[in-house]
Amino acid sequence: MWQIDPEKCLQCGRCQTECVLSVSAVKCFHANQVCGYCDLCGGYYRANVKELNTAAENMMCPTGAITRLFVEEPYFEYTIDESLCNGCGKCVKGCSSFGNGSLFLQIQQELCLNCNECKISKVCVSGAIQRVPVRQGYKLKDHA
Amino acid sequence: MKNSRIITLVTIAVWTAVLSGWHLYDPSGGFTQFVPGADKRPPGSERKADDVMIGEFFMKYDATLSGESSESWLGFRGADRTNIVRHSVPLKLTEGEFKELWSVETGEGHAAPAVWKGRAYVLDYNEQLSSDALRCFDLKTGEELWRRWYRVPMKRNHGFSRTIPAISEDGRVVTIGPEGHVMCCNGDTGELVWTMDLKKRFSTEVPFWYAGQCPLIMGDELILAPAGTDTLMVGLDVATGGVRWATPNDCKLKMSHSSVMPMTLGSKSTLVYAGIGGVCGVSADGANKGKMLWFCNQWQPSVIAPSPLQLNSNQIFLVAGYGAGGGLLQVDQFGGVWQAKITDQYKADKGISSEQQTPILYKGNIITILPKDGGGMRERVSIYQPGNLHRAVWNSANDERFGLGPYIVIDDRLFALKEDGQLFVYEINDDSMKLLRKQNVIIDGADAWGPMAYADGMLLLRDAKTVKCFKIND
Repeated sequence: MWQIDPEKCLQCGRCQTECVLSVSAVKCFHANQVCGYCDLCGGYYRANVKELNTAAENMMCPTGAITRLFVEEPYFEYTIDESLCNGCGKCVKGCSSFGNGSLFLQIQQELCLNCNECKISKVCVSGAIQRVPVRQGYKLKDHA
Repeated sequence: MKNSRIITLVTIAVWTAVLSGWHLYDPSGGFTQFVPGADKRPPGSERKADDVMIGEFFMKYDATLSGESSESWLGFRGADRTNIVRHSVPLKLTEGEFKELWSVETGEGHAAPAVWKGRAYVLDYNEQLSSDALRCFDLKTGEELWRRWYRVPMKRNHGFSRTIPAISEDGRVVTIGPEGHVMCCNGDTGELVWTMDLKKRFSTEVPFWYAGQCPLIMGDELILAPAGTDTLMVGLDVATGGVRWATPNDCKLKMSHSSVMPMTLGSKSTLVYAGIGGVCGVSADGANKGKMLWFCNQWQPSVIAPSPLQLNSNQIFLVAGYGAGGGLLQVDQFGGVWQAKITDQYKADKGISSEQQTPILYKGNIITILPKDGGGMRERVSIYQPGNLHRAVWNSANDERFGLGPYIVIDDRLFALKEDGQLFVYEINDDSMKLLRKQNVIIDGADAWGPMAYADGMLLLRDAKTVKCFKIND
């Protein structure tokens, strides 16, 4: 099976457009143990927002797949709705450029057709998509 | 006939049902609204764009300090604000090209580094998060050790970041953000020590193109020139941010992009500031510390980026860009009364001038890069003698033009960075220079305007989007 190495991923956006599925099998995963629970989250808010609130115009995610809930001042818990995620990686780029890198892309194995020749891997500019053994189907950040 | 009527009634019924359904169906019924408050943030704690909480965010990275440096570069133009590095044994330059040790991408801007004990500090601006960010790097490796940031949305205007941090000997790092937010951090841990908003505290009017003033630390005192409604200059306890003394803004100066320069005029330690509206001298010691000693309103450029340059015990060279040119200020004391007057003033094409960088006084000569309105010698490195500010004794070659690039003297050599990223090294002789080498240190560089910094054989420089460190000695 195929999987993305988060350390190599450049969030180029091709996972969203090159997968043979109409909505990509690549999804954003969230490592809660790595997350800083920041109010000012680079993966949640788009650049130069005027106000830090949950209005649609402030969201980085184009499909509204990321939601957050207040925990205690000044922390917020972030959640990904995989059914809405299209694998564009915009949130991952925002998180990794100025945050802990708790958001990362993975191929959701339950959705993947396991093509023998993954179309995304052919265009991946950084060689981040690799064949992995079935028992190592995911490269997670919050697991040893 | 009967069938026809039935068909008509059925048709009407079907269309009525379709139209009713069309009107009654709500296609947005499955939509989720994204409106403020969905994250259950407690009412009243919503953040507005101008709710700046200086230094509120912090990130420590896994990298550890590789080792302390023996030299530091504690702020704008170094610890003594001369922009000159002197070693007892002159630096032996690397044979061949200077080696790049590291390179870091930054937000667009011109804020240059300061160095303390093996750490390089840059007050960056992150456009993604609309935040000023004090970033601490390992000087030798470029690994980021920590960063502290705060949200301050603003519009791009020749980039964002501007100023160089000032660092006390015991490692307190003080920054002034583009919108006048002052932050003091522990240089080792990044811990927030204290903050101050110049606009809120002193009603400072931040100039067009944002605040360019670099803070000054003298001993345990931080000196700022907020040039606000009532307060021209303040001395703060760098450990606490408490105000020790304040100079009333009786002369109604406004904040320029220039920085406060410490000088000894006569035998008096003085803080000289060129604001919008004039230039002034404030006592830096003694019982009258903080008192304005003299003021001159004959120097009135609308924009001032370079800082005043002391030439001797009673003369100060003033310079500004955008057509202002240069001027010579004479400061004397007669019978306990200080007097300051302009004795020479001229346009940029009539003598030594500079648009952005502060010239260097080295071995009795003034080294500058002439501004773009500086006549035929524009944008070249030039040497002038203080006795004649109107005629250069040496100019660099026709193809050695540097735009608004910075320059620094290290052991009888001038390192000048062209604004497109080419580094030129000159040997400085009595009244001339000799080009030793040049190297393209920033490929496709642009707007390399931030001043350079030096420590332990490492030269730090930047263009609009990158900070780099080069090893320049063997």
